[in-house]
Amino acid sequence: MRKKDKSAAPAQEFGQSISVSCANLWYGELQALREVSIEIPARQVTAFIGPSGCGKSTFLKCFNRMNDLVPGCRVEGSFRIGQTDIYGGTDVNALRRHVGMVFQKPNPFPMSVYDNIAYGPRTFGVRRRTELDEIVETSLRQAAMWEELKDRLGRSALGLSGGQQQRLCIARALAVRPGVILMDEPTSALDPISTGKIEELCEALSESTTIVIVTHNMQQATRISHKTGFFLLGELVEFGDTDDVFANPKDSRTERYITGRFG
Amino acid sequence: MKASRIRETAGRAVFAAAAVVCVAAVVAVFVFLIGKSLPAYGKLGVWEFVTGEVWSPDRLDTYDAPLSGTYGVRTMIAGTLTATAGALLVGGVLGYFTAVFLAFYCPRRLRRPLSAAVSLLAGIPSVVYGFFGIVFLLPLLSHIAPNNGSGPLATALILGLMILPTVVSLCRVSMEAVPQAYYQGSVAMGATHSETVFRIVIPAARPGITAALILGVGRALGETMAVVMVAGNAPAYPEGLFGSFRVLTANIVMEMGYAGEVQEGALVATGVVLLAFVLLVNLLFGAVSGRAVRAAVAREGRGRAAKPGHRAAKRRAEASPAGAPAGTSSAAASSAGVPSAGVPFAGALSAGASSAGIPSASASSAGMAAPASPAPRRRAGRRRAGELWQALPYRPVLPRLGHGAALTAGILTGGALLLVLGFIFAKGLPQLWQNPSLIWGKYEFGSHRITVLPAIVATLWAVALSLIIAVPVGVMAAVYLGEYAGRNSLPVRIIRTAIDILAGVPSIVYGLFGMIAFVPLLGGSGSILAGSLTVSMMLLPTVVRSTEESLRAVPDALRQGSLALGAGRLRTVLRVVLPSALPGILSAVVLSMGRVIGESAPFLYTMGSVIGPLPHGVLDGGATLAVALYQLSGEGWYMNEAYAAAVVLIVLVLGLNLLAEGCGARLERRLKGDCHAKKR
Ligand SMILES: Nc1ncnc2c1ncn2[C@@H]1O[C@H](COP(=O)(O)OP(=O)(O)OP(=O)(O)O)[C@@H](O)[C@H]1O
Ligand SMILES: [Mg+2]
Repeated sequence: MRKKDKSAAPAQEFGQSISVSCANLWYGELQALREVSIEIPARQVTAFIGPSGCGKSTFLKCFNRMNDLVPGCRVEGSFRIGQTDIYGGTDVNALRRHVGMVFQKPNPFPMSVYDNIAYGPRTFGVRRRTELDEIVETSLRQAAMWEELKDRLGRSALGLSGGQQQRLCIARALAVRPGVILMDEPTSALDPISTGKIEELCEALSESTTIVIVTHNMQQATRISHKTGFFLLGELVEFGDTDDVFANPKDSRTERYITGRFG
Repeated sequence: MKASRIRETAGRAVFAAAAVVCVAAVVAVFVFLIGKSLPAYGKLGVWEFVTGEVWSPDRLDTYDAPLSGTYGVRTMIAGTLTATAGALLVGGVLGYFTAVFLAFYCPRRLRRPLSAAVSLLAGIPSVVYGFFGIVFLLPLLSHIAPNNGSGPLATALILGLMILPTVVSLCRVSMEAVPQAYYQGSVAMGATHSETVFRIVIPAARPGITAALILGVGRALGETMAVVMVAGNAPAYPEGLFGSFRVLTANIVMEMGYAGEVQEGALVATGVVLLAFVLLVNLLFGAVSGRAVRAAVAREGRGRAAKPGHRAAKRRAEASPAGAPAGTSSAAASSAGVPSAGVPFAGALSAGASSAGIPSASASSAGMAAPASPAPRRRAGRRRAGELWQALPYRPVLPRLGHGAALTAGILTGGALLLVLGFIFAKGLPQLWQNPSLIWGKYEFGSHRITVLPAIVATLWAVALSLIIAVPVGVMAAVYLGEYAGRNSLPVRIIRTAIDILAGVPSIVYGLFGMIAFVPLLGGSGSILAGSLTVSMMLLPTVVRSTEESLRAVPDALRQGSLALGAGRLRTVLRVVLPSALPGILSAVVLSMGRVIGESAPFLYTMGSVIGPLPHGVLDGGATLAVALYQLSGEGWYMNEAYAAAVVLIVLVLGLNLLAEGCGARLERRLKGDCHAKKR
């Protein structure tokens, strides 16, 4: 019984808001982030926009420390999720469990649909079949694909369409009950209908989860996000309510970008 | 959380330990080679040993007393070089043209059977080739030869046949890797199929072809048994087409069974000379393939004249290949084609004029490409086709001749396979049919009723045992290299070099090592365990390399997906990466299996060469099937039994391959997850 509690409840040590101050990041010699500070509110959708190579993905990957995997990458500044300083001796795996991630290209594991979703819970010690069944069903329902997939749980996840694969990846991330989900251009490889489905999903999920999404699609940002941050050359130029940022940007560079003059 | 960290550390340690075992194996082989050969070199003198023309050892020679034998390997160095050159001439040429045939001329219906035939040829153990040489080739040649037919010609034919599959498959791969755009670019300019193949596509594949030939040479250098069976083996210079001669590997295998102190040292020293040749060839290979890689990189760089710019632009370019890129490409093609426009093949283009023409043509098209968007590869390919087109002096007959040669080669290769298999099966199957006790009979001491059952059992033991040793160690070492150690860090470079060297050591040298190192340790006479240990050292590099290769093919996205879910390295490796790499690992296992069954040189003195009673444990010895075939055919009294053994050997190799392939297919389906969710 205790095991179940451990797996089902979100890890208590983390909150759901993200606060960063004075973040600097280098890839070897190249400085990819400069003095970025931001307060991302809990249980809302926050979008990052900006031209290619400005450091959006880099910044996003700081929140679950995927940057640790890049040799020569150096991070400075304070990153807090809730009250926890995530670069201060936290267990990385526990952090990543709490901060899920969805990648640009869907990356389902070459396993069955069921095993894909059960992968995370199994990692954290859930072994009982009934429990796993329950988690798989809940996660798929949350990702609005239970009806589509319930009859093919045992089939390969690689046989799904691109859009289905991406939603499966979202379901896979949800299966460990994360408090925060990071999405790096989750729809850029998808058709408009699949994109619409994922956008709906984001809105629904934001009731219980903090979502940070990187997007190149400005309409997408206005459609789904509560907050928007604009990056340029490694700096966070502007951050505020989405409506404000798009309706009356404070910085002229933001204005030029969203009216399409560069990028 | 604590427990998981301990698991991580333990996992890492285990993988690192496996890598260390690989290094230790190399160190052991080298310590052995140096330790055993140095006294010999000291006593005999390096120069005298290498250039001495007389080899007449005395097994009573010791290091403390004056020598009564003479030890010089010059004739054998000449022998090895002759055999290798002959093999290259036969197998290289035939293989090259067979590859051309397979890649460009083969009717679609024939393609699969012929490729299957080539891989079949690769699977046939070398003793079987040697046996075929004894029973078919030598009698045939003896009609025109002054002797029984053995000598350089027979050796070249048999060795050539042996390296044929290596050459064919590697050449073919590199020919088929040439971008389609080259072909299309040339045909679009009015060239015929043959002209395009021989003047555009094959020149573009040249580095790969060179590499294939060099690998073939490496194989021919290290081959032992097949050569022993047809070369005659008298320690004399190879002269003319016929006449007994000896190669370095043969020298070792002929005498190691009963060598005295100095003689043994001299044999190890022979191994060192052999290894030096192999390493030289490997270096050459490294240089060539390194250049090939660099050339490819350079080509790529030129294709992307502009640094990949904005993602959206890139996407647009990919989405509409018919837009701007197509326009510029036709411009590039036409500008490249200008000098020969209209009458493409009229004037032979002098090399000077065309080489002056190339830079301007490519520069102009690069100029066009630069400001727009990253140039798609296809266009770079067309442009390059144009360059190659002009760079080659035009020889109108060459393509037509090439076509003919390719056809001939295809027929010859197919014919050779049919001949080898057909002959052996035609002679062997009736034997088995009339006399099933050959397989199932019970061994009787001193009887003339031979049974190969003990040999089959010993072979299967050796296969199982050596795989059990080599596969886990090799796979774990590869995991350490690919998943844990930093790319190109010092330990990784050391381990890689170690593995490369290990891969180059000829199998007979392993046999020598096993005989001197493992056999005394395990009771003094050959045993299955000693043989398996010896052979598993030989398998390690294959397993490590192909596992690494297949680990590299696993997309990084999968690793990241797993890590991002909070899984540790160990779990990511065990549950996501390794399963995805399993088909590649499996094919390495199959390959290794084939080698264990087919090898005889390393077993001869580590596992025993007696066709004796059934082995009851790993400390019992006994000939493997391949060794048994060597023994039976060598004595000349048991030819019928030898045919039967050859049939069994071939069937065993092919059967295990088929089995493994079947398992592989099922595994692959399973891997992709197409089964009911497993219960763990
Ligand atoms: N692993 C890496 N090693 C070195 N430099 C990197 C690495 N990843 C990113 N960079 C560099 O850091 C900068 C920011 O890259 P990042 O991927 O964060 O940009 P981005 O805003 O996500 O762009 P895009 O919209 O194209 O995804 C770029 O200049 C990039 O070249
Ligand atoms: Mg990005």
